[in-house]
Amino acid sequence: MSANVELDGVWVQFGSFTAVHDVNVTIEGGEFFSFLGPSGCGKTTLLRTISGFQEPTQGVVRIGDQDMAGIGPNKRPTALIFQNLALFPLMSVWENIAFSLEVRGVDKAGRRKRADELLELIALTGQGDKKVSELSGGQKQRVAIARALAVEPEVLLLDEPLSALDLKLRQHMRTELRAIQQRVGITFIYITHDQGEALTMSDRVAVMNDGVLEQVADSATIYDQPETAFVASFVGENNLIPGKVHEVAEGFAVVDSTIGRLRARLPRSQRAALAAGEDAYVFVRPEAIHILNGAGGDGFDNTVRAHMSQEEFEGNMRHLILDGPGGNEIRASVINAGRGIGHGLGSDVTLGFRAEMTVALPKGPVAAERDSDAT
Amino acid sequence: MSSQNILRAFVGLYILAFFSYLFGPLILMSLTAFNSFSFPRVSPWECFTTEWFVKLSHDEKLMHGLLNSLIIGAGVMALAVPIGMAGAIMLTQVRRSIRPIYYTIVISPILVPGVVLGISTLIFWDRLGTMFNASYNSVFYDGLFLTIIGQATFISAYCMLVFIARLQRFDPAQEEAALDLGATHAQTFRKILLPFMRPAIFSAAVLAFLASFENYNTTVFTIISESTLTTVLASKVRYGIDPSISALAVIIVSLTLIGAIAYEFAKQREAKEARARQIEGLGLPASPPTRAKLAEAIGNPAMILSFFVAVAGLTFVYLMATVDTAACKQDLREQKRIEQQRRQDMQLFPLQMPSGKAPSKPAEPTAPQAPAGETGNKQYQGIFEPGNLKKQVGPEGEAAPAKPTPGKQYEGIFDPGNLKNQVGPEGGTNQN
Amino acid sequence: MNPVTGLRRFVDRNGLAISAYLLVAVTLWMLAMIILPQLFMLDFSFRYNLPPAKIGGPEDVWTISNYAFLVFGSSGNPDAYNWIDLSVFFRTILAAVFVTVFDVALCYPIAFYLAQVAKGGFGRLMVLCLIIPFWVNEILRAFAFRILFGATGVINTVGMSLGLLDQPIDFVGADIALYAGLGYAYILLMIFPIYNAIESLDHNQIEAARDLGAPWWRIHYRVVIPHAKPGIASGCTMVFMLSAGALAAPQILGGPSSLWFTQIIYQWFNTGGNWPRGSAYAMILLIACIAFVMLMMRVFKVGLGEIGR
Repeated sequence: MSANVELDGVWVQFGSFTAVHDVNVTIEGGEFFSFLGPSGCGKTTLLRTISGFQEPTQGVVRIGDQDMAGIGPNKRPTALIFQNLALFPLMSVWENIAFSLEVRGVDKAGRRKRADELLELIALTGQGDKKVSELSGGQKQRVAIARALAVEPEVLLLDEPLSALDLKLRQHMRTELRAIQQRVGITFIYITHDQGEALTMSDRVAVMNDGVLEQVADSATIYDQPETAFVASFVGENNLIPGKVHEVAEGFAVVDSTIGRLRARLPRSQRAALAAGEDAYVFVRPEAIHILNGAGGDGFDNTVRAHMSQEEFEGNMRHLILDGPGGNEIRASVINAGRGIGHGLGSDVTLGFRAEMTVALPKGPVAAERDSDAT
Repeated sequence: MSSQNILRAFVGLYILAFFSYLFGPLILMSLTAFNSFSFPRVSPWECFTTEWFVKLSHDEKLMHGLLNSLIIGAGVMALAVPIGMAGAIMLTQVRRSIRPIYYTIVISPILVPGVVLGISTLIFWDRLGTMFNASYNSVFYDGLFLTIIGQATFISAYCMLVFIARLQRFDPAQEEAALDLGATHAQTFRKILLPFMRPAIFSAAVLAFLASFENYNTTVFTIISESTLTTVLASKVRYGIDPSISALAVIIVSLTLIGAIAYEFAKQREAKEARARQIEGLGLPASPPTRAKLAEAIGNPAMILSFFVAVAGLTFVYLMATVDTAACKQDLREQKRIEQQRRQDMQLFPLQMPSGKAPSKPAEPTAPQAPAGETGNKQYQGIFEPGNLKKQVGPEGEAAPAKPTPGKQYEGIFDPGNLKNQVGPEGGTNQN
Repeated sequence: MNPVTGLRRFVDRNGLAISAYLLVAVTLWMLAMIILPQLFMLDFSFRYNLPPAKIGGPEDVWTISNYAFLVFGSSGNPDAYNWIDLSVFFRTILAAVFVTVFDVALCYPIAFYLAQVAKGGFGRLMVLCLIIPFWVNEILRAFAFRILFGATGVINTVGMSLGLLDQPIDFVGADIALYAGLGYAYILLMIFPIYNAIESLDHNQIEAARDLGAPWWRIHYRVVIPHAKPGIASGCTMVFMLSAGALAAPQILGGPSSLWFTQIIYQWFNTGGNWPRGSAYAMILLIACIAFVMLMMRVFKVGLGEIGR
């Protein structure tokens, strides 16, 4: 059975510090929902508020339409998977898994049976008698999940569970987790700073920054149609071009930017915020920028002359760093189709990108320089 | 020799000297337990005997004190371990600003002299007793109760330190995980925290018992009319020394040694098992070559100690088997009688003394155990010395409690050197 | 956060039963065993020595006569000051300081060796050898020293037989037995704090100093000792407190001229029958110890939290 989770005007404050700032969102039952954001954005606090370790300073947390105020973590239909897993070192694997049944008074035979079932679910059949310390990182992960699933919670909360694993294992576990969720069918609430994880695994993603929910949507929308500067800069690579709005018409804005006059889409939610004369940020993804042959526009709304200064070869993609007008750095990415780009380093090229792939957003906080393990 | 080597030699010598300082007194004391001489001495060595151990077991006061010590030890364990654990847990939960004050208060009993703790406990309960008009038989004046309370005051602090050290390695997420999985607080405490603390609980309990058992300063005030092993011992040592005390020391030292060796072995076995499991996990071959094992065994401190204990034990058994104490004593008595006879003969027919040593010895008579030190002479070699006669017969007087000695002087009445000493126990300070 | 919400949070976090256990245990300990008895003793020291019948009556008032007695003696005292008791007090303190210094000098090399030089099995052996003598009762230890140092003790016997001594040396009368015994008694408490402190010193620092050409004594003076300060302070505090407050060793090993302050206290409670006065003396001993602890903390610049085994 899965339940929906409703956060209604939730604020969490510690003294003068606000960790969570008026969060309103409803997570549907059976959904794989992620909170994505940099460290310190409040996502862990939010998770602990949902699971019951933290009472909200204001607002209501409802699980399955039931107000959870005053209900402790051991009484809520939630199960939490901790970042460091918090497996019980003095107990064997099956004892860990069956712990929730033990505290409910289930007899030993019943517990063992259920533990064996779960061991099968996580593909660790027969390993029940091992000590936790004898397992590998990935195996411990799975035991933690099995332990949480043993009591059939309605909501499973996962706190950056893959951050301690190496790259290959992480990618493998992503698929696994998604598969488990679909098999078991309960609501997964997943928090991470790794957008790759969030985007690939989730039904919907909520991007958080400084305690505020910036945008809640499915992966494609988050990526293609960011609604705030933070989302645009945090998720994926994006070129940020500052400018001033010249005019707004029919869902598009014309912006006088540092690299020239650009035409960009204006998200509906921001149409009120941006009027002529306002400061704006124009975002265009590297992969949306085409290197044109010849000086013609080729049907692109926006064209820019730039000078190729560097190239990074990543295998499947070629990343080009170009100097645009006004000294702006522009990044463009081209799929490695086997043949070159046709232009060498140091040459001047024309770049083109469509207005639908460009977005104008109000000026706002943007993501800081990312650290290396966020792919 | 290079300066490095000189330094190294010096260091080695220092360590040797240090450990002789450490163990010397204990070894000597242990030796005196087997000397049939009625005052604990290494020399003169009379006969090898185990009679002092027998005498020990018949000492009723000591046995009674021992029983009390055990009861008090158990009581202190039962009180100090829970209090210490509560104290440690509280420390982790108290607000940061209060923490230093809290810590200072609960640590203070360790820094306070034991006598002060004993006195304050005594006075507190005495005043409480008068407030409630309690009778003298009530708990307010019960030596055992007061001693348990008084000792537990500072022993709880020791236990708390043990628990704090263990708690620091505890991952609080485990408690949260247990709660999250549906456990009540009591279940979390019982199933997660307590099992983690188990080694610390065990150490703290042992520590509490040992600390209580050997305590003297606090106990001597709170014990009122009762006694513990230490108070009985103390009064015995002050008022009447005989080698049965050494015998007790030997027993305690042996128990300690065995305990230490057993503990060391247990610890090593645990480490070995953990290593074996690791090796198994990595798939390496099981056991190292025998020579490596042998080298490891020889360097093992527990093995070295056990070796010494084994040697001592074997010597002991050998001596017990071969030395006939009764016969030895018989021989000694014969010798004394012969000597006495010879002296009597000499009185009648004075002869020139072979040795030039003056017969008179320091004028301390065979007074009872003064805190100023034992009396009597030391040259055992000069058995034919007239002065020695007094010494050989006198020791019973040395072991007696604070009695005046004039009566004992008459035993060496034929000793010319003793003439001086018979004029009252000058210089012999009485035990106070 | 006010106390009520604090209490509610506490109970929420621990559950009712556990909270009750924690609160009761700690409160009982702090109040009934630590704070109140000391306060009662303090109060008692300011009272007259009244028979039980008169307690609570009109004569039961506060007085500083007990403290005054230590300084001035009884009213029949011909001298201006109570030289006997005062001299015992000061001698006790000085002796305790001496024993402390002796122990530091004695134990520092061993602690250093153990922490930085001794390897594996030998180190463990040394540790074991250090611990074993101290599981033996302190009274038996004092007794052992008695055997060693007495007029007919081992040292004198051996010395005489080897011809080194003509007369037995009165170790006891010269207080040497007592000091040796006291120094011996607390070695463990001095070694282990210093050992712990030195062990945390990165051996590379010593190597670096040696590399830079420092002689061994300078290495100790500038590198090791500053690092070991908390350990030394901790050890000194414990040894001083235990020496000043020692009772068994002076009783057993003390000569006629080395009466210990604690023995006087004991007498007031035992034969002297003047508990208030004994309490006053005990308070003075306590204050002396506290003063020493604070002096240590000031001189070595360490906090109270570092004094823990």
